[in-house]
Amino acid sequence: MGFFKKKEKDTKKQDKEQYKNKQQGTNEKKDKEKIACKLSLDENMAIIKRILKDCGDVIYKDFAIGKNQNLAFTIIYIDGMSDNEILLNGILRPLMLHSREIPPEVPKSGGKLYDLIRYGTIIASEMDETTDINEAILAILIGDTALFIDGIDKIIIIGTKGWPSRTVEEPSTETVIRGPRDGFVETIRMNTALVRRRIRDPKLKLKQMQIGRRSQTDIGIFYIEDIAKQELLDEVIRRIKTIDIDAVLDSGYIEQLIEDNPYSPFPQIIATERPDEVAGELYEGRVIILVDNSPFALIIPTTLNSLYQSPEDYYDRWIIASILRLIRIFASFLALILPSLYVVFTSFHTGILPTKLVLSIAASREGVPFPAVIEAFIMEFTLELLREAGLRLPAAIGNTIGIVGGLIIGEAAVRAGIVSPIMVIIVAVTAIASFANPSYNLSVGFRLLRFALIAASGMLGLYGLMLGLILIIIHLIKLKSFDIPYFSPLAAFIPSEFKDTLYRAPLFNMIKRPISTANNKTRMKNNRNAIKDKEGWEDDDQGQ
Amino acid sequence: MIKDNDIISPYQITAITIMTLIGVGIFSLPRELAEAAGTNSVIMVLIGGILSLFVMGILVTLNCRFPGKALPAYSGEIIGKVPAKVLTFIYIIYFTAFIGYEARVMGEAVKLFLLSNTPPEVIILSIILACTYAVRGGVECIGRAMEVFFPFLFIPMILIMLPGITDADFSNLLPVFYGLPSKFFKALPVMALSFSGYGLLLFYVGFMKKPKKAYIYASVGIAIVTVFYMLIVVLCLSMFGVKVVEGMIWPLLSYVRSVNLPGLFIERLDGVMLGIWVFAVYTTMISFYFALTYSLSCLLGTKEQKQFALIMVPFIYLASVLPQNFAQVDKVPVYLIQYFGSVLIFIVPLLLLIIAWIRKKGGSKNEG
Repeated sequence: MGFFKKKEKDTKKQDKEQYKNKQQGTNEKKDKEKIACKLSLDENMAIIKRILKDCGDVIYKDFAIGKNQNLAFTIIYIDGMSDNEILLNGILRPLMLHSREIPPEVPKSGGKLYDLIRYGTIIASEMDETTDINEAILAILIGDTALFIDGIDKIIIIGTKGWPSRTVEEPSTETVIRGPRDGFVETIRMNTALVRRRIRDPKLKLKQMQIGRRSQTDIGIFYIEDIAKQELLDEVIRRIKTIDIDAVLDSGYIEQLIEDNPYSPFPQIIATERPDEVAGELYEGRVIILVDNSPFALIIPTTLNSLYQSPEDYYDRWIIASILRLIRIFASFLALILPSLYVVFTSFHTGILPTKLVLSIAASREGVPFPAVIEAFIMEFTLELLREAGLRLPAAIGNTIGIVGGLIIGEAAVRAGIVSPIMVIIVAVTAIASFANPSYNLSVGFRLLRFALIAASGMLGLYGLMLGLILIIIHLIKLKSFDIPYFSPLAAFIPSEFKDTLYRAPLFNMIKRPISTANNKTRMKNNRNAIKDKEGWEDDDQGQ
Repeated sequence: MIKDNDIISPYQITAITIMTLIGVGIFSLPRELAEAAGTNSVIMVLIGGILSLFVMGILVTLNCRFPGKALPAYSGEIIGKVPAKVLTFIYIIYFTAFIGYEARVMGEAVKLFLLSNTPPEVIILSIILACTYAVRGGVECIGRAMEVFFPFLFIPMILIMLPGITDADFSNLLPVFYGLPSKFFKALPVMALSFSGYGLLLFYVGFMKKPKKAYIYASVGIAIVTVFYMLIVVLCLSMFGVKVVEGMIWPLLSYVRSVNLPGLFIERLDGVMLGIWVFAVYTTMISFYFALTYSLSCLLGTKEQKQFALIMVPFIYLASVLPQNFAQVDKVPVYLIQYFGSVLIFIVPLLLLIIAWIRKKGGSKNEG
């Protein structure tokens, strides 16, 4: 065993070295790739047209300005990704029309002309300059416009990003009854704005980088400087920097590439569509990753407990929120073990149930040709089938599938004597219970484990079920998300954080941030006493 | 960020103490006590608990002299390397036998009450393998497991047991104090058996950041266990009386079976009790199992302990199937724990402490 260990370490070392070499390699490559901008416009155009060959959506607009039309310009942008309004009124109109009023004695070349155009003529809020053609091309691909001027070896990059995007809508996966209704969209800029609107604090930092050799996807890492722990941030950035992939199409790519245990059925990073949840998690010292083209933000670190928290918990009054949370926990427990309990009680330990119930179960199972395990497997599998089919179909047909599956198949199966009515009830309850979980990913994990538990209890009865539960619990305990134990704060037990676990304490009592994730502990002051500090205040707490 | 690799918190020490102590013995405890102490059983549990506090004090004091080290490491400092290795080896044998015993008793009970057609070998092997999964996670995993299983074990168990109070006849507990001195020494070994689990503090306190906190937190653990044992004994004795309890193999199960709640969804609670009891056995087993693999890694001088978890499975299995029948299984505690275990857990640490004190090993400033 020791030998294997050593070998593993050696390979790890090699990996590291390789990785280092690779990084150096890419650095060198980057240096090589820099193409200096030439003085001649024609030369520059030749280079760019060579690189952007066969890119039909790239627009080259040549024009000349000046009184004598002797200054040649070219702007390059991609059709559909640039804002026509800025292009027309911000660049073309001032350059082509207004510049005609400039007297001809302006020097033909040199810094003065350049400065005049750069700072005086173009009307755009976002402008940059570069001498690297490759950088200019990247900017063009992002949606900016590059302006080349004959005789000047600098490129002006004008921020004209603007493409059709979905407007802010209510997220479809995490609906709440009470709370804000806005959800993230596919554009990272809009998403960052949605978060920034909720945190007007200069300490809210956004680190940006691009991942994906070809896709060059924008990634934003949000954190609040004096709340988030530096080690956590460093670890997140370190893990993201190890990613070397050609394209990132959704935040799911990032999630899978940086999570702790890819072989676990449980999600170790929450993906959310809700900006208010993101803001709440930021205030708890967590780090958020936003990925362009994805409406799902990643919350790091995640614990099992945080998967049971819905943003609504904090908007509702605490008693309601606490009860709802208990119901959710109970529901996922039901969804996990109910079919296995049925198997245990019907095929192994009938003595545990009351005699009348056993008799009624036995009567309803009369004529069912399969043992309870097979029955449970058949029905649970059918349920998964229905769910998957309903998801893929358009909403209108999806409902039909639900009715057909739920009512007709269930009814017909019972009539045909393939399954017992009690099994149908159990499957229905399991399905409802698994929908009660606020996190879709978590309920998928439980759904998978449900089958494992049915198998375990089919083989070893109650003992098998217990053993299965023990293994699931041990797995959850072993799991970590960015060095935070997954079962935290229940294990390792942190008493001060218990207030937001199985129940949600009154808001005025949640004075501290969770210590395992956040610095700068104090979140608020308890204002109850200040409210009561008034003459004639009748205190109901005294129990009059 | 919590960097708790190989560190356990004070709460976890409480949980480890409780969950290690409560093992297979709880079902038979009332019978053993009733045989030895009769109606004085409840008092004996209390005395046993108080004595345990003192012994625990010795163990923790010994550990506090060598903060950050567990028994196999610091015994080398006290008595020299070779004797320490021999001592560690003896502990390894004890732990292996103990885990085997726990697994066997569980296998027998599960076979008797839950799975009459399943060969006990399957049950024994499956629980041992399930243990290896936790043990491979290291000491922090053990600590967290104890914390999680604690409510899973206690809340249902107490909910199951308490309704029986209505049927109890408390006059069965009398007379108290009658003939206590003569029964005291007869019942002491039983208590030693029931409380022997905290000997593992010798290992676990070494993983604490502030070992001195173990005094309070382990005491709380022992207090909770004492109260729990008293509850069991009171309920069983008051329900059946001493003479009946003496004749039962597992009085607690019989008690739970006789608890009857009209209108409840579950009619026979003993099956449920057995199911929950798997948690208790499992936690005791992983607690000993980790001490076993840790001792092995110290003995062989390896950095990690987890590779030994799977290697030890055949040995533990062998130890568990050594007794030929249940009558022999029932005798195991007498040899294994009352004599062998008591020496290892009560006498050896005391000797070590005295030697350490005489040879002035370990930080004396940590004493206290």
